[in-house]
Amino acid sequence: MKLKITKTLIESWAYTFDCMEEYADEAMADFLATLKREPHEPSEAMIAGTNFENLCYRIASGENVVETVLLDSVNPVTGEVNESRKFPDNYDGAKKIANIITGGQIQVPVSCDLTVAGQGFWIYGICDVVKAGVIYDVKFRTTSLGSSDVYGKYLHCSQHPLYLQALPEARRFDYLVSDGRDLYVESYDRNLIEPAEVHIRNFWAWLHTKPELLEIYKEKWVVE
Amino acid sequence: MIQKGYKLDFSKQTFGVILYGAPGIGKTTLAMSDGNMGADTLLIDLEHGVGRTNPIHRMNANVLSARNYEEVLADLETDVAKAAKTIVIDTAGSLVDYLKDWAFRTKPDAKTKTGAWNAMRGFGHVKTEIESFVNKIKTVMNKNVIFIFHCDEKTENDGSTKQRLRCEGSFKNIVWTGIDFGAYIQMLGNKRWACFSPEDEFFAKGCHGIHGHVEIPDLSSGVPNDFMAKLFDTARKNMIQENAAVADQMENYRKVIEGVKDMLEGVTDQDSANACMKAIADMPHALTSKKECGMMLNQKCVSLGLKYEKATASYVPAGDQK
Repeated sequence: MKLKITKTLIESWAYTFDCMEEYADEAMADFLATLKREPHEPSEAMIAGTNFENLCYRIASGENVVETVLLDSVNPVTGEVNESRKFPDNYDGAKKIANIITGGQIQVPVSCDLTVAGQGFWIYGICDVVKAGVIYDVKFRTTSLGSSDVYGKYLHCSQHPLYLQALPEARRFDYLVSDGRDLYVESYDRNLIEPAEVHIRNFWAWLHTKPELLEIYKEKWVVE
Repeated sequence: MIQKGYKLDFSKQTFGVILYGAPGIGKTTLAMSDGNMGADTLLIDLEHGVGRTNPIHRMNANVLSARNYEEVLADLETDVAKAAKTIVIDTAGSLVDYLKDWAFRTKPDAKTKTGAWNAMRGFGHVKTEIESFVNKIKTVMNKNVIFIFHCDEKTENDGSTKQRLRCEGSFKNIVWTGIDFGAYIQMLGNKRWACFSPEDEFFAKGCHGIHGHVEIPDLSSGVPNDFMAKLFDTARKNMIQENAAVADQMENYRKVIEGVKDMLEGVTDQDSANACMKAIADMPHALTSKKECGMMLNQKCVSLGLKYEKATASYVPAGDQK
C-alpha cells in the first residue's frame, strides 16, 4: 500500500505547531479537513494569490496586460487624443517575477516514490514554474514586505524538499515572494536542505501517536 | 559584447554581503578585512562607530562621514571612492534613516497634511532611492558592497526566538535578494564564527561553496585582517569551477529546448505528436529539459485535441481515450 503525500498536507499539519496559540483550534480543524480531503472554498487570500500568479504568467507569456485608455482631452500641440495607460493591480511585483520566469514551463506536475520508515509514499506536487534546472514558486502577500520579516520564512517548509525530490534534475528551488510591488527571493540549493524524508518521517511518526488520524490518512490518501 | 557562458571571466567578480550580529562582535572590523589594513575599502560610517574598532585594522581605511544623504552621494563621486574595491555601509539600518530624512526634506508627498512623516509614501521614496544607490555601487561602480546590520532578538508566533535585522521598511527583506552572502556573526565558545547557512535562530545565505560556519581568526596575535579578501578569492575560484561544470549543461539545455521548439512546428496530428514524443525521449537531455519539453509537447497536443493515454503511452484523440 502506497500513500500519497503533498506539501499541502504536510504544511497544514506543520501549521498546527507553528501558529499562534489563539489560532491552534482553527489550524487543527484545517489540518483535519485536509487529511479527510474535504473540499473547501478558496479563501480571499488564496484567490488573491491565484490572481497574482496568473498575472505573472500572462506577462511572462508576452501578453500585453497594460490597458490603453483614450482620454476625452486632445494634446494642444500635436492634436492627438491623449492616452492614459492603465496598469493592473500588483503589476510592478508581477513584472519582476515575470522577468525571472519568462521562457519556463508553468504548472508542471512532478511526482516520485519514496520509502520512509518502511512505508511507501508517493510524493506529488505541481511546480509553478520549471526553467533551466530551477523550480520557482510564486508567493503573494496581501501585506507589504515592509511590514514584517519574511527572510527565512521557508527554511523549514516542506515544499522545496518534496519538489526537489520529485524532480531530481532540478538543482535549486526559489521562492519568489511579492506584495505586488517588491520582490524577495529565497533560494534553496538541493545539496544544502533538509531531505524530504525528514519531513515525511516526522509527519508519519506524529500520525502514529494519533491512531484515529493515521487510519483516516491510510483510508483517504491510499494510491492504487 | 556577447560571450558564451563558458567563456565568462569571473576573476574580477564583485560580491554583495550582509554581516549582522550583536554590538561589539566585530562586524565593522570584519567588513574592513581586505588584507590591506582597510586601504581597499571605503567605510560609509553612518553611526560614527569606526572609533570603536582597533586602530591597527583601520590604519589605511577611507572613512566617509556625512551629515546627510546628499553628502554621502557627493562623496561617492570622489577619486577615493572610485578607487576602493569594497564599499561598506555601516549600518544599512542607518542608511534607511538617512534616506527617511532625505525623503522628508525633499519629497513633498513624504509628509502628511499636518507635516508629519507619511510612512506609506515616504518609504516608497526610500525604497526606490536605496535600490538606485545600491545598484550604483554594485553595477555601475562595480564594487563589492557590504551591508552591516545591527540585530534584534524577536519572538516568533511559535514562541521561538530569532535574530532579525534592525531596519525599517521593506529593505530588510529585499536586500537579501541581491546579495551573494549573508552571515550572522556569533561567539561559540571563545571563538567568533561567520555563519553562512540559515538555522532556526537566524537567517543566512551562502553560495559559490561558502556555507556553514566559518571561523573568524583572532586578530590579537598579529594575524592579518583579511577574512573578507580571502572569502572573495575563494568564491571567485569556486565560481570559475562551477561555471566550467555547468556551462556544458546549460549549452545542451539550450540546444534541446530550441530543437524541440522547432520540432513542435511540425506537430500537426496524432502521428507527428507521437513521433515527436519519441524524439524527445531520445534526446541528450540536460538539467530539466526533459520535463520542460514534455510539457511543451503536451500543450501542443492539447491544442490539437489530443490527450496522453497512459495505457498505450501515446497521444490519442481526446475522445478516444481508454
